[in-house]
Amino acid sequence: MTAPAAAGALNVLAKSPKELRALGDARHLSLNDAEWAAIQTHFKSIKREPSLAEIETIAQTWSEHCKHKTFTSPIRLTEGKKTRTIKNLFEETIVAATAAVKKPWCLSVFEDNAGIVAFGKKWALAFKAETHNHPSALEPYGGAETGVGGVIRDVLGCGLGAKPVLNTDVFCFGTPGYAGALPEGAHHPSRTLRGVVAGVRDYGNRMGIPTAAGGIWFDDDYRLNPLVFVGTVGLIPQSAVKKEVKPGDLIVAVGGRTGRDGLHGATFSSANLGADAPSSAVQIGHAINEKRVLDALLRARDKGLYRSVTDCGAGGFSSAVGELGAKCGADVRLEAAPLKVSDLTGWEIWLSESQERMVLAVPPKNLKALEAVFSAEGCETAVIGEFTNTGRLVVTHKGESVVDLDMKFLHKGLPRVEREATWSAPATSKASGGVEKKAPLVLREMIAHLNVCSREWVIRQYDHEVQGGTVIKPLQGVRHDGPGDACVIWPHAATGDMTDFTGFSVAHGLNPDYGRLDPYYMALACVDEALRNLTCVGADPSRAALLDNFCWASPADPRQLGALVRAAEGCRDAGKGYSAPFISGKDSLYNQSKDEKGKELPIPGTLLISAIAPVPDARKSITMDFKGPGNPLYVIGRTNDELGGSLYHRILGRVGGEVPKANPACAIEGFKSLHAAILKGLVLSAHDLSEGGLAVCAAEMGFSGEFGARLDLDELARDPRIYSNETLLFSESPSRILVEVKPESESAFLRHFGKGAKAAAVRRVGQTTANPILKVVGLDGATVLEEPLRELKEAWQRTLPAVLK
Amino acid sequence: MSVRAMPIATHLIEVRLRPEFADAEGAAALALLLAQSQPSLRDARVSRVYRINGPITANQVQQVAKDLLCDPVTQEHRVVAPTSPPLNGMNFWRVEVWLKPSVTDPVGETVRDAIADMGLPRPDSVRCALVYRLSGRANKASLEKAVARTLANPLIHDAVVSEAHP
Amino acid sequence: MKNPRILILRAAGTNCELETANAFRAVGGAPELVHIAEIKAGKKKLMDYAVLAIPGGFSYGDDVGAGKVLANQIRHTLTDLRQFVRLGRPVIGICNGFQALVKAGILPHSNSCDQVASFTFNDSGKFEARWTHLRLNTQSSCVFFKGLPEMIELPVAHGEGKLVLRSPRHLEDLKKNKSIALQYVTEDGKLMGYPHNPNGSIFNIAGLTNPEGNVLGLMPHPERFVEIHQHPNWTRQTYRKQAVGLEMFKNAVVHAR
Repeated sequence: MTAPAAAGALNVLAKSPKELRALGDARHLSLNDAEWAAIQTHFKSIKREPSLAEIETIAQTWSEHCKHKTFTSPIRLTEGKKTRTIKNLFEETIVAATAAVKKPWCLSVFEDNAGIVAFGKKWALAFKAETHNHPSALEPYGGAETGVGGVIRDVLGCGLGAKPVLNTDVFCFGTPGYAGALPEGAHHPSRTLRGVVAGVRDYGNRMGIPTAAGGIWFDDDYRLNPLVFVGTVGLIPQSAVKKEVKPGDLIVAVGGRTGRDGLHGATFSSANLGADAPSSAVQIGHAINEKRVLDALLRARDKGLYRSVTDCGAGGFSSAVGELGAKCGADVRLEAAPLKVSDLTGWEIWLSESQERMVLAVPPKNLKALEAVFSAEGCETAVIGEFTNTGRLVVTHKGESVVDLDMKFLHKGLPRVEREATWSAPATSKASGGVEKKAPLVLREMIAHLNVCSREWVIRQYDHEVQGGTVIKPLQGVRHDGPGDACVIWPHAATGDMTDFTGFSVAHGLNPDYGRLDPYYMALACVDEALRNLTCVGADPSRAALLDNFCWASPADPRQLGALVRAAEGCRDAGKGYSAPFISGKDSLYNQSKDEKGKELPIPGTLLISAIAPVPDARKSITMDFKGPGNPLYVIGRTNDELGGSLYHRILGRVGGEVPKANPACAIEGFKSLHAAILKGLVLSAHDLSEGGLAVCAAEMGFSGEFGARLDLDELARDPRIYSNETLLFSESPSRILVEVKPESESAFLRHFGKGAKAAAVRRVGQTTANPILKVVGLDGATVLEEPLRELKEAWQRTLPAVLK
Repeated sequence: MSVRAMPIATHLIEVRLRPEFADAEGAAALALLLAQSQPSLRDARVSRVYRINGPITANQVQQVAKDLLCDPVTQEHRVVAPTSPPLNGMNFWRVEVWLKPSVTDPVGETVRDAIADMGLPRPDSVRCALVYRLSGRANKASLEKAVARTLANPLIHDAVVSEAHP
Repeated sequence: MKNPRILILRAAGTNCELETANAFRAVGGAPELVHIAEIKAGKKKLMDYAVLAIPGGFSYGDDVGAGKVLANQIRHTLTDLRQFVRLGRPVIGICNGFQALVKAGILPHSNSCDQVASFTFNDSGKFEARWTHLRLNTQSSCVFFKGLPEMIELPVAHGEGKLVLRSPRHLEDLKKNKSIALQYVTEDGKLMGYPHNPNGSIFNIAGLTNPEGNVLGLMPHPERFVEIHQHPNWTRQTYRKQAVGLEMFKNAVVHAR
């Protein structure tokens, strides 16, 4: 076999680092100097030039996206005068936390396309969340669509294939009313919002997957780099979790055809959207093809026709076959791949990112049966090679060599580059500046604020009830329009069993404003938020599993990297503290762009925590709307003077203050006791305190249930040094939940907290009322708030439709 | 090598909502354009143009239009003849938004398969454009800018703005 | 027959077949998921079944108009469908299935091939996922409605659900033939606009039936309300405690026996 044709006059071996960087820029390859050097060394040792396809394959496999280089390479962190080296941030934080909590129900973590946890005795749940930020910035609709398509495929390619039962969507956008300047080519945030929502909607709805959990955070620092987090939960029999590839298995490509999508330097007139944004960076999805794949794959899985599966994501066949054959080797004949256009060259077929394709490892004796199953669903299949035991990745096209790489070099040859990081805590936590505003005005502004207001405009565009299992819905309350904390899914369509009411819940935690003060506490707060949201609907917080998604600016900036380290260490301590394992995660770095003045605008360091937990009996779950008048209201959790990064400070224009500092040990006791009380049917409603603190929480429960409340701030468990009513009303201390208890069950409710009642700080703070007014009495006995819920709700509902019209 | 029995031709079919039906897509497009400082636009109607390329005759294309592309109750269709846009004093506009040739066209792919399923010769390609018929006064350059901010993304679309028949 | 065989028709893009099958199974039916390609290839025959259900979804991606491609396939492949209907066997088309039945000319009249109704985009211009109050036409002989209360609640989820008619005359025909199966109403039964009518359908029509009453097409999803805990207010305990979707499927199975 002759060596692959060195494409054109690449002459990689002779180039200087500067020339290699230029080559990388021209071909949109993000290889750094050390990586180019490693490539040169390797090919010099085998005495030949690499082909273009080989360089592209290596670049893909070694990309941030696939290998999380920043998270797994050494970091030298300087904090004040002290310096320490972190050998592998990922191992030392995320993985270490999961290993420490040692949950036997984690079936697959960090090795497959998604994390897998047990769900009952027979089933398991696969959960994956990832981002599709850069494509969504370039083309909001197409980027979001293919983002959803990609994460669905990850779950389809997890184990032997999981059936998607829930989609999640969390976005960070610039404000839709942004009236400032934008650089050439950047889309206005309202356009990004509309396009992304439409893309997530169209793909998810067409795939028949309910989109029922999510959120939006608005901040103008995201206006050039929106964040689009998409997640999918899939159901899989425990017997189908393990996969393997044996030499001799056929490599079978299924799904859509291969075209020029995603190829660097595809024929395309240069875009006027930013200097070098190639159209190839955006693909258009075709959900119906993916639906065909889904239907066929699960049928083939249940017949036991293949041994392994993975999806074609970034890098197309190159990453899919490269991954599946990593441990053994693969021979690929590209002329066998079904094509969209007949004139694709070998390397184009190999690297195309055409959507809706997956790769299977099929024992030859099952091929005919597999082809029959797929063709019955109108889905194409093609044998494009076989797995071998050579340890090499050998790819040809019509006999011509395209790639001939050592698998070990491809997957393990990535050089680790040490990076510098610095972290310094903010100088002071004293709050300063801003204008004083009275509590009623503050509440009105908060309830209408973009980060609190109703998201009904978005949610009603998603079919959140397909598969008939959305027992607790995103919109709750009398008029089906209140803000639910989490959804509960009863997956009977997937299990086929309507007698089994085991369900699961998914919730999120995100707050970049805390991260501006201290990313460590932001991480704790995010995990806390996700877990308390789960608890509020009746999920079991002691059985929660976590996903981490980091979106950050450039790690080449030591301060950014230092903040990232701090957030990762917060995750580690949160995982251990809440005894919740991380089962999967992703990171998206370099989220920054030049603004209209040419100045770099980095996004604030953003961490999304997604949490999934089982709901032992979905029929016992609860919603957040007040259920009746005269019911006792309890607050679980202690209120401290923690207004740093709060909505209150945003409204006043105040800076500084103490960032909320979660105490996992106390918090988890409170959550577990509340869960037990909910299971026993003692709780009518529960809602967590987050942005806007107690005031916003009580208002939301009130106008969703159309009952008022009278609260007494003096009854709150709190730091005794607090003398300000506003602090008590609007503090964002974590781990707090407002609970409406059945009057006849008060003592039973308190018994559930038992000895933990003191640690969890459970206090009766008032009761619901028939009159739909939110009345709050302050420390001095005077009325601080007396607001008609109807008016608050109107303000809450008006914001998004008014700005999007 | 196969011998083609039919000459390869390109057919353009436009499918639009009958005038008596309200056009929600058009209303949404109009709202977006009005927000982009196009205050004199009064109405927008949306139609779709299918460019069918292949060994398929004009009669067969009519059959495709009737049986597949056009709903007999709500829609009407016509063949689009390539003509130069008539000038009308900037009062009526036609905005055609096509996906760029290098970008996958999912609707086109579905139509292509559906035509073959009808027993007709499978076209070489089918592309589908959204066409916005706008009435109201506008300036071409500023309308093109508004379109690039709302209805089309220059990264993946080719948008053609021309004066048109009312 | 004890467990009537239910043909649940699938095509590329059908989404709601599993929960529809679960619903039929729960009321004593024997549902089978059958891809239209299997019927085309002669592997399965419509006449072997007692009930036909066309579930919701985005058949063929809705790319050329919701349900159009599926409707064509139904016309060409389910050639004995009109006979099936004439024999009085129950047929239900839900959401996308309703769109396909209308575009295939099966509803509102199953004995003509003409299409007199169709669907366009919701007036709001958006996909609408919400629960609706519906009033059943008590004068209709629809087999699916036997024993049901006049007012029910079901969820809708569609972007192209606005029913339109060829001409105003056809609306009078529908009224005369008692083909209007159910209408979107307010909580107290009045005909009002958005959001009570989620899409702007003429005369708030949410579903149609053939004059004989054995074919029902509706945009709302009965398979999404076969269990109390699917209702949005079940935690408040303040709603009619009957999962009416289940009753509709039960009626079909009972009628088929």
